[in-house]
Amino acid sequence: MTTQKPIVMIDRRVTLKWLGGAMVAGQLAACGDQAKGITWPEAAAIKAAGYGTDIDFQNINVPWPLTMTQVELETTNDLVDLILPGEDSLPAPSKLGVPAFINEWISAPYEDQDKDRKLIVPGLAWLDDESRKRNGVAFANAESSAQKKLLDDIAFKDKVKPGLEKPAEFFGRIRSLTLGAYYTTREGWAEIGYMGNTPGTGDYPGPTPEALAHIKGVIEKMGLTYTAP
Amino acid sequence: MTPDDPHDVVVVGSGAGGAMAAWMLTKSGATVLMLEAGRDYSPDEAPMLNMAMEAPLRGAGTTDKAFGYFDATVDGGWEVPGEPYTKAEGSDFIWWRSRMLGGRTNHWARNSFRMGPYDFKPHTRDGLGFDWPIAYEDLAPWYDKTEKLVGVYGTNTGLENHPSSGPGVLQTPPKFRVWETFLKAGGDALDIPVVPARRAVLTKKIDERSPCYWASSCGRGCGIGAAFQTTTSLIPWAKKTGKLTIATGAMVRNVVLDASGKATGVIYIDKATGLEKQARGRVVVLAASTGETARILLNSGAGGSRDGLANSSGQVGRNLLDTVGSSINAYFPQLEGRPRYNEDGAMGLHAYIPFWDYQKIAKGEVDTPRGYHVEIGGSFGDPGLGVGSGLDGYGSSLRADVKRRYGARINFTQRGEMIPNAKSYCEIDTNTKDKFGIPVLKFAWEWSDHEYNQVKHFQASMKTLIDKLGGTVVGEVKSPKEAISVGGEIIHEVGTCRMGPDAKTSVVNSFGKTWDVDNLYLTDGSVFASKAHKNPTITIMALAMRAADSIATRLRKHEI
Repeated sequence: MTTQKPIVMIDRRVTLKWLGGAMVAGQLAACGDQAKGITWPEAAAIKAAGYGTDIDFQNINVPWPLTMTQVELETTNDLVDLILPGEDSLPAPSKLGVPAFINEWISAPYEDQDKDRKLIVPGLAWLDDESRKRNGVAFANAESSAQKKLLDDIAFKDKVKPGLEKPAEFFGRIRSLTLGAYYTTREGWAEIGYMGNTPGTGDYPGPTPEALAHIKGVIEKMGLTYTAP
Repeated sequence: MTPDDPHDVVVVGSGAGGAMAAWMLTKSGATVLMLEAGRDYSPDEAPMLNMAMEAPLRGAGTTDKAFGYFDATVDGGWEVPGEPYTKAEGSDFIWWRSRMLGGRTNHWARNSFRMGPYDFKPHTRDGLGFDWPIAYEDLAPWYDKTEKLVGVYGTNTGLENHPSSGPGVLQTPPKFRVWETFLKAGGDALDIPVVPARRAVLTKKIDERSPCYWASSCGRGCGIGAAFQTTTSLIPWAKKTGKLTIATGAMVRNVVLDASGKATGVIYIDKATGLEKQARGRVVVLAASTGETARILLNSGAGGSRDGLANSSGQVGRNLLDTVGSSINAYFPQLEGRPRYNEDGAMGLHAYIPFWDYQKIAKGEVDTPRGYHVEIGGSFGDPGLGVGSGLDGYGSSLRADVKRRYGARINFTQRGEMIPNAKSYCEIDTNTKDKFGIPVLKFAWEWSDHEYNQVKHFQASMKTLIDKLGGTVVGEVKSPKEAISVGGEIIHEVGTCRMGPDAKTSVVNSFGKTWDVDNLYLTDGSVFASKAHKNPTITIMALAMRAADSIATRLRKHEI
């Protein structure tokens, strides 16, 4: 955050973001990939308690405090909706609580999540920083076309802009979390076509006639023998 | 009765071996005191239909709950706070424990494959490892009784070394799903069998237990009683006899002997009070798990002797075995965009690949002496947090990619036989004690070339099958040494108190009776003389049933 440029547009939202950014700067110690010409600060460690080894499933809760700043949340909000934009009847990830999930994830006091935290918190800061460099405003305040232009440099594994390997890694991880969080919702299940988690009675019905006809066609086209289940 | 009263039998452990012994013995009229180190548990508390999104982190595994938030395991895992274990230098071994009534039966995969005739006489066949003191025929009737009692679905395939169950024993297996039918087509073309799996999951009602309702991961625990666990079956049945007393939070330290060398009970630490207590019985049965049973024996030496108890053979803690594990993931474009339907099914194997290459082994045409089976996973399951793996870019094309790829991936998991070796064992670490003051186990572990070669055979065979079906391997196929599981990781550890023909070479006889102490029995995986590729639980239960039957007879005759 040490390289951040002065903010031009000053409205309440931006001020809040700027304050949030300053808070982030306070939490982060600059280090890392300066040699590659990018700012990649270190994320502060989490010291909260986990949910333990004996869960009361009647009272499910997330016991650790959420740690994302307002700025980080707003950046995440825009980012997840760029990753998987809402379409017609399909809601955008921000409408399904995906940013809150990512907040919960990177705030968790566990090893795997700690690794992600060390990637995502600096990644979000980098995104803002880079946006300011390129567009003069934070990521969440940039035009959608400018946001996409930035993502184009880090989102495609064969087209990562040299020097931006770390931000690309960050993006790949947040994309994976976004998709995972999105498709584990009821809306995600409906879209992808998951029809399970539904108790039934009697024998397992097995594949539908349509599903069987389809796989029979596939198998026979390959020159193999189909056996009806 | 209370835990302070003398019982006919003291059983340490409430998992597969302990609960089977307790059920058989109480049914025969004996009074049984069961000691369990963990807390009381019933799968009435299982979160059966909760969605991942209701859980913190979408239910992902963490150091608190390695198999996910909703996994049934209570106060367990690879590490248990205050109850460490150590490793010999250069060894890697991990030890799964569950501190709860029912132990690891509350979350196991329920895969129930019988050992076959070859599996009981491995040394006779190839000169490696050790033969069992019994043949398949000796255990076959006990397998039938166990499978019928437990409720196992499957079919008799007639395949070599995959024995059939008796008439009317097995329940009807659930139908193959589309991707299993697809895999079978490839297997048929290559003479690799893809056949119905055997699992301890009901497809028809037995007693008060309901059949599977085709939803909810079995690992969460099964409140309807369909997926077998001792907390919905053997333990409540034993309780109903009025002969069973259970003490939970009872961490056993050692077996107590009288002056004549007979076992009189065990000393345990009552976790609630921190006090040492003595449980008394005419017979002591240890079924605390392969590691814990060996630990109790090794900590029971007279005057703190490091040789332990029932160890005149020197074999207690030796011959530590686990299943050989590795896996390959493949992506099949031919499965893209297939019509949707509910593929949850029995939430586990409907089909699997049993080992098929015994003839080539006999002819010396392959360089692995022992077999494995392949557990297969695919399905339109809950998409889960991994749904985005392998995807690229961003924007609306991602939605299309996610939908197209859903249900087109199959993973192949090797479960193979390990041969006992002198470098894999556990012993007491004299420098380390747990929070109860009990000396802990130190594990030593090494795979041999037999296991590495088996991984190679698996990888090559699966590659052929994947190619035949037009699939591509996801990620790189690692070298066998990198691909093989860590010792203990498959949670099939057995062998630390092996059975055998005599007191010189083994710890127990074929009934689990220790050669050295006439009224001390072991009924868990520790008694295995070898570790076939078949998952051990059903065999643990069949052996425990046979052992308990023998104990009941001897009690009746007042021999003990």
